[in-house]
Amino acid sequence: MPLVSTRRLHKFFGRNHVLRGIKLDVEESEVIAIVGRSGSGKSTLLRTLNGLENIDDGTIEVDGTVLQVDHDDPGALRALRQKVGMVFQQFNLFPHLSTGQNVTLAPRVVKRTPREEAEDIARRMLERVGLGEKFDAFPDQLSGGQQQRVAIARALAMSPKVLLCDEITSALDPELVNEVLSVVRQLADEGMTLIMVTHEMRFAREVSDRLVFMHEGRIHESGSPQEMFSNPTTPEFASFIGSLN
Amino acid sequence: MMSFSLWDIVRNLLVGGALTLLLSLAAFVLGGATGLAVLLARIGRRRAPRALARMYIELFQGTPLLLQLFTLFFGLSLFGLDVPAWLAAGLGLTLFTSAFLAEIWRGCVEAVPRGQWEASACLALTYREQMRHVILPQAMRLAVAPTVGFAVQVVKSTAVTSIIGFTELTKTGSMIANATYQPFLVYSLVALGYFVLCYPLSHYAKSLERRLHAAR
Ligand SMILES: Nc1ncnc2c1ncn2[C@@H]1O[C@H](COP(=O)(O)OP(=O)(O)OP(=O)(O)O)[C@@H](O)[C@H]1O
Ligand SMILES: [Mg+2]
Repeated sequence: MPLVSTRRLHKFFGRNHVLRGIKLDVEESEVIAIVGRSGSGKSTLLRTLNGLENIDDGTIEVDGTVLQVDHDDPGALRALRQKVGMVFQQFNLFPHLSTGQNVTLAPRVVKRTPREEAEDIARRMLERVGLGEKFDAFPDQLSGGQQQRVAIARALAMSPKVLLCDEITSALDPELVNEVLSVVRQLADEGMTLIMVTHEMRFAREVSDRLVFMHEGRIHESGSPQEMFSNPTTPEFASFIGSLN
Repeated sequence: MMSFSLWDIVRNLLVGGALTLLLSLAAFVLGGATGLAVLLARIGRRRAPRALARMYIELFQGTPLLLQLFTLFFGLSLFGLDVPAWLAAGLGLTLFTSAFLAEIWRGCVEAVPRGQWEASACLALTYREQMRHVILPQAMRLAVAPTVGFAVQVVKSTAVTSIIGFTELTKTGSMIANATYQPFLVYSLVALGYFVLCYPLSHYAKSLERRLHAAR
């Protein structure tokens, strides 16, 4: 049974029909890269998966937790969000909290983990992203790449089943992109289930098990990245990869 | 006719000034507490309290303080409640302060970037937990400078309560001016009194603002 599964997902912003029937199954430990033109609905799809955007039709199921159309079950939403971590383009660290507090906040508040245990977890997660020594630093004392790695550690501290990443290197200076990508690559190698929207085609090609090309609110083409890049089957994807170079 | 030395004038004004200070403090503390409740209703997710809080704020922001005091003072006496001037003054200023602070603070809550709400929602925090751990601590930092700045307005607004007969600084001044026939001297001293109370506050508000700007 897939870990994440959506059926006939529809989403409107006003009259703008942004998601037009998305069917997506993601197996445990699978790494999915979502690509597509600006406005094709990539971020919206990702944001529906943890209930940041509600949906107008369809179902979302993550590890047995079902999200209904109108989010009328706050318990289900909370349960789902504990299984789905998310990392944003803009990091969104809590600026008034230290790195360590950023990472321990949710385990302590949501899972009621005792302080010492939560700090233990936080230290381990910060080590994992190569920032073990930054536990007491504040976000504004860190580089963009470091902040993004803290954001990853913060998400990991909740032990999510799947991690969503929305263009997490797009706001970074070019020389800081690799430190973040190598953390993602390491997570993928460790078997983390990842769904990422990215413009880093080379990275998507190397790391992902499956490439998903979105076009006008639909999954237009998907498959193994090697195959799709060498043999695009739709003219839209062909023109999309053509426009990259 | 009684004669007043300068010391007599100053001594009486000091008593009035102390009452002005006391009234300001009471209005600010009680108004702050009430304002926090109004704020939470105003930004909460429940429709009815939100609408009520909004009406409350608009009512007090949209009418002159003087009329609010008159309404309290004379209105309550219509119901047979004999409200002493100090109580009407304190109550009126508290309500006035709470409405303005709630609105100032709402602006600060809304100035917290949307990403902070989203990041904390993704971590499965509930609305209350988001407020308590993520949003309000950041809004409070933003609120410090405008709140201190508003305290200056509160001090100056207390002068209006002289009209319903509360013997704070202004009322004391006008009584002494009538008795001494030295209005210029007396009112200058009254103005000086307000300045002494307000200047440190506005200076503090400015330096806070500078410091917070530098920290950005
Ligand atoms: N909060 C919103 N309110 C209204 N319309 C929105 C909102 N968010 C997204 N949209 C619209 O939905 C469509 C899809 O947007 P989305 O952000 O999902 O695209 P995307 O594929 O992530 O694009 P990009 O590559 O630029 O990030 C766009 O037409 C966008 O204008
Ligand atoms: Mg996007």
